Amino acid sequence: MSYASFETKEQASARALLVPLCLFMGALLGFPTLINLWYSFSDVSFQNMIGSFVGIDNYVAAVTNPKMWQALRFSLQFAVICTTIEVGAALILVFILHPLLVKRPWMTAILMLPMMVSPALMGVMYRLILNEFTGAVPVYLEMMGYAVNFLGRGSIYKTVVAIEVLQWTPFAFLILLTARQTVSYELEEAAAVDGATGFRSTFHILLPMMKPALVIVIFVRFIDSFRVFDHIYVLTGGGPGNLTTSISIYIYKLFFVQNTLGEAVAVSILLLLMSLTLIVVAMRLVVRRS
Amino acid sequence: MIVSRHSRIDSVAHFLRWVVFVAVALLVNFPILSTVLTSFKTNADINAYPPKWIFSPTLEHYRAVLASPNVNYSHYIMNSIVIATLGTIFAIVLTLPAAYAMVRQGVGRTWLLPIITNLRALPLIIFAIPFYFMYKQVGLLDTRIGLALISCIINIPIALVMFVGFVQDVPRELDDAAKIDGASMWKTLWHVVLPLSRPVMLAVFLLSFIYSWNEFLFGLILTTKNAVPVTVGATFFVTSRGIEWGPTAAAMTIGILPPLILGLFAYPYIGKSMLAGAVKG
Repeated sequence: MSYASFETKEQASARALLVPLCLFMGALLGFPTLINLWYSFSDVSFQNMIGSFVGIDNYVAAVTNPKMWQALRFSLQFAVICTTIEVGAALILVFILHPLLVKRPWMTAILMLPMMVSPALMGVMYRLILNEFTGAVPVYLEMMGYAVNFLGRGSIYKTVVAIEVLQWTPFAFLILLTARQTVSYELEEAAAVDGATGFRSTFHILLPMMKPALVIVIFVRFIDSFRVFDHIYVLTGGGPGNLTTSISIYIYKLFFVQNTLGEAVAVSILLLLMSLTLIVVAMRLVVRRS
Repeated sequence: MIVSRHSRIDSVAHFLRWVVFVAVALLVNFPILSTVLTSFKTNADINAYPPKWIFSPTLEHYRAVLASPNVNYSHYIMNSIVIATLGTIFAIVLTLPAAYAMVRQGVGRTWLLPIITNLRALPLIIFAIPFYFMYKQVGLLDTRIGLALISCIINIPIALVMFVGFVQDVPRELDDAAKIDGASMWKTLWHVVLPLSRPVMLAVFLLSFIYSWNEFLFGLILTTKNAVPVTVGATFFVTSRGIEWGPTAAAMTIGILPPLILGLFAYPYIGKSMLAGAVKG
């Protein structure tokens, strides 16, 4: 009896420890989501910040706007391309560099520098070095006889992909390297004794053991690239035209440039639903695997 | 005989690994390297053709940036420092007790932990518009505290995951000993868990500070003048009256330096925190 009441007292004080976090998240994420929901069904504007109910007009405007689908397509395609290159390159590099880095953490640190930089500032830096007239990269290419306008219409898509890949392959590399290093030496040695060497041990032992890390890397990089905003915004502002408008930039433009608030909010809600679906599906997959 | 052939293959492989390392390191770090070098060049050296890699360095652009009449860059630096520090402290204060309660009593572990850890997968733009209006209503627009709250939200998932991992590794006997001595949960948290948490606290602080410092989207949307962070302020050098190469490069260098330095210490935790989230989240 006394034990039971002791236990509930513990539980109660444990719950008290959670209260601040819950209140904070509720106030700063739950409440805005509710505002979003209401706005998406109202004719809110900068002048009329409460708005009145207009039914699903905003959603109709959102889904009938071909630019939304264009932006969505850009984001999906961008995320698939970047994730594939980043994870592929990182995996190959882990197998090449692991023996070199294992006793030299400072070398790993050098490779990690790009991902410490704000993507927005990374975008500005690339803007400097890719500048048609004075940027270091075009100047050298010109000396070798190539004239490439990296920020022009023809190559801007490849450029924003390349910047994302160059900044975040180190992240994928780090996660996979960490996973690779935790694969115990005993296991490797056991494999060597059994006569499994080189590629065989790589494919039959190491890769399966790194699979959870691979799943995480793919998920995190996909999500991150899908919601890309910073470096594209400072580099192109989503242009030329809508060529590099990701879904995040699209919502930003609807809101701050065109001032079509209702539609912007409706797209936000649709994006939220899509993201939640993706997260739930991904979680199911991970749980089923493990 | 066989041994020497092996060792020769090994040394060739070793050499090739070095080649790959140097190539990759130069490739991914090229913009950083180039920008930092440019920031120390005189205008004449910046415009030199072909680009100069060896030159006598100057600090004129740093002086120009910090004394610029158009862009109050030193104020933006201060903003970023305050926002990142406050946001990080908020996140730690909110998540450490919660992590303790979750691990030791299992409260909220099955629902709150997955919800919060998955938050980092949501596109932040979703919350941009309601935040804009909310902040406008309560007067938090363009304030440091407003952005500190945002950076707190952004860092709560990673802080919580790392603290949950930490509390799991604290031997339960220590808690029980304190409990027998009659200490309440709060006291145990304060006197037993908190002193042990210094290493993980440092890791959370480093990562959270870096992520806050690098935040751009909300800085762009929610500030105009007073609370502009470095990431947003640095872009002012580009958009206003064309690009001034030297000052822009100096501003960039200042803006990327703090996270770069902290990152040298913090990077191992990024790998661990990501993998910990997978196993425990």
